[in-house]
Amino acid sequence: MSARLEVRLVKRLPGFTLDAQWSADGGVAALFGPSGAGKTLTLSCMAGLLRPDAGRIVVDGRVLFDAAAGVDVPPQARRVGYVFQGYALFPHRTVAENVGFGLRDRPRAERERRVAEVVTRLGLGGFERRHPSELSGGQRQRVALGRALAIDPALLLLDEPLSALDAPLRAALRNDLRAILSEWGTAAVVVTHDFSEAYRLGDRIVVYDHGRVVQSAPRAELLWQPASEAVARIMDIPNVLHGTVVKATPDRIQLRWRGQLLEAVNSPTRSYLPPPESPLAFFIRPEYVRLIRKDRGPADPGHHMNLMTGTVVADEDFGTTWTLRIRLDHPGPPAQGDYDLQVEVPHLVYEILEIDRDRHWEFSIHRGSIHVLPA
Amino acid sequence: MTDETLSALALSVRVAVLATLANAFVGIPLAYVLARRRFRGRALLDLLVTLPLVLPPTVTGYYLIVLLGRRGWLGAPVYAATGWSIAFTWYAAVVAATVMALPLLVRTARAAIESVDRDLEKAAWTLGRSEWRTALEVTLPLARNGILAGLVLAFARALGEFGATLMLAGNIPGRTTTVPLAIYTAVQTGEETMALALVAILTVLSCLVLVVAGRLGARAA
Repeated sequence: MSARLEVRLVKRLPGFTLDAQWSADGGVAALFGPSGAGKTLTLSCMAGLLRPDAGRIVVDGRVLFDAAAGVDVPPQARRVGYVFQGYALFPHRTVAENVGFGLRDRPRAERERRVAEVVTRLGLGGFERRHPSELSGGQRQRVALGRALAIDPALLLLDEPLSALDAPLRAALRNDLRAILSEWGTAAVVVTHDFSEAYRLGDRIVVYDHGRVVQSAPRAELLWQPASEAVARIMDIPNVLHGTVVKATPDRIQLRWRGQLLEAVNSPTRSYLPPPESPLAFFIRPEYVRLIRKDRGPADPGHHMNLMTGTVVADEDFGTTWTLRIRLDHPGPPAQGDYDLQVEVPHLVYEILEIDRDRHWEFSIHRGSIHVLPA
Repeated sequence: MTDETLSALALSVRVAVLATLANAFVGIPLAYVLARRRFRGRALLDLLVTLPLVLPPTVTGYYLIVLLGRRGWLGAPVYAATGWSIAFTWYAAVVAATVMALPLLVRTARAAIESVDRDLEKAAWTLGRSEWRTALEVTLPLARNGILAGLVLAFARALGEFGATLMLAGNIPGRTTTVPLAIYTAVQTGEETMALALVAILTVLSCLVLVVAGRLGARAA
């Protein structure tokens, strides 16, 4: 395998076992999953701060750990930069001393040149003599990045790099961080429990759950093709539903759900072919449900597929969008508590259609917007 | 002031300073090891170091005699080889004061070391520092105020040590009589003025020490 990063780890702790395997081709890999899934534990093992019980860690062909071969490079010799959650800057050292901390073995002149270069590239010029307590959250993050990057690491590890920041700052620094990571080109692993952060920062997303990797895929693939219902739930995707297979072909899957016959596109890459009458999980993205305008005549079944009717039983204003909870007219208990589908419409649409007044709607879902989740 | 008073004061200060130095050399590494390492016998070591804090000083002194006295486990071979024993010398006062003060330093310094964020140490390791260099460059500097506060408390304890000193060093005027022992003797023999003067000196010194330790402690927190 020619992947730049190969990780295979087993670590048993009281009440928790990490058993994870994934690989990545440079760029940024985002480890995503709920807290307590083993993401930070993985970073600790990669940095050599914690010894796995079994497994192998290879970075750019260099074996850092191999239980079978008895290789365990100590953290001091791994050349792995670690940006800790909360940054772990040395409070008794200045910005320049923090950035230069890992360069102690280099000649003084070279050390100073490197510190100056890193400080300038990260926009920290003028702050060299300040102490961490005199910096803003964003500046601290950059000092932590600079300190880890100054040693020219083979791999950069970032543990929840944005969680120490306030929400408004977080969005801005997410973009900064993305820019810095791609500019320096160092292979990086970012841990986060926020999917939008994982999606924004990672080229590849590795989904963790209960100490295992449940999916590892390029970020776009993950977004549209979660490997299972479990992954969809961890991603917090709305409208994860359960139906019954009517007929499956490599292109299409027909399924029965709440009295409707739905048609979905089968995944072209994995053409999943479950037998008829087997249970099937799928999800419908709330922003892809179309309400049929009543002033344009009746819906055209040739154009509008997967037609249904239902009542808005609740709605919530999120500022730029409205989230509607719709209960289908079909009798029987609704699929998600007291409603069947969550639908998202822009504010403008909500106002034009006067949804606050008019609650009963016909709507359609394109077959490409119904995503099947393999069992 | 009489010669006896002066010599007691000088001896007390000398004993307290040396005991504090000994505490720094033994107590700081001990505090670090207890705070950061997990090893067999750690609980036992912790117990041994802390015991003098709760035992009556005379009991600690008795153990010191058993260990270092002329017929003690360590003292007997030394006496057999050299004809010298530490018992009833002023060195014994230093040893007694050191042992009695150690738990104060170790407990204070250990708490300060434990409060240093472990991620800082891990960061230093990933940046190439050995555990030893990390302790010197990161952990101990950041625990500095707590360690200094512990040293100040140890100094105060050493200055005021009575029971264990009496057991191991005795009360030989001009040789092993420290200020607390001189106060005891003065009261026993009715030399009220001398007792009062020494009491006043020790009280003022102890107050000073508490103020200094309090300030260091506040800065450490």
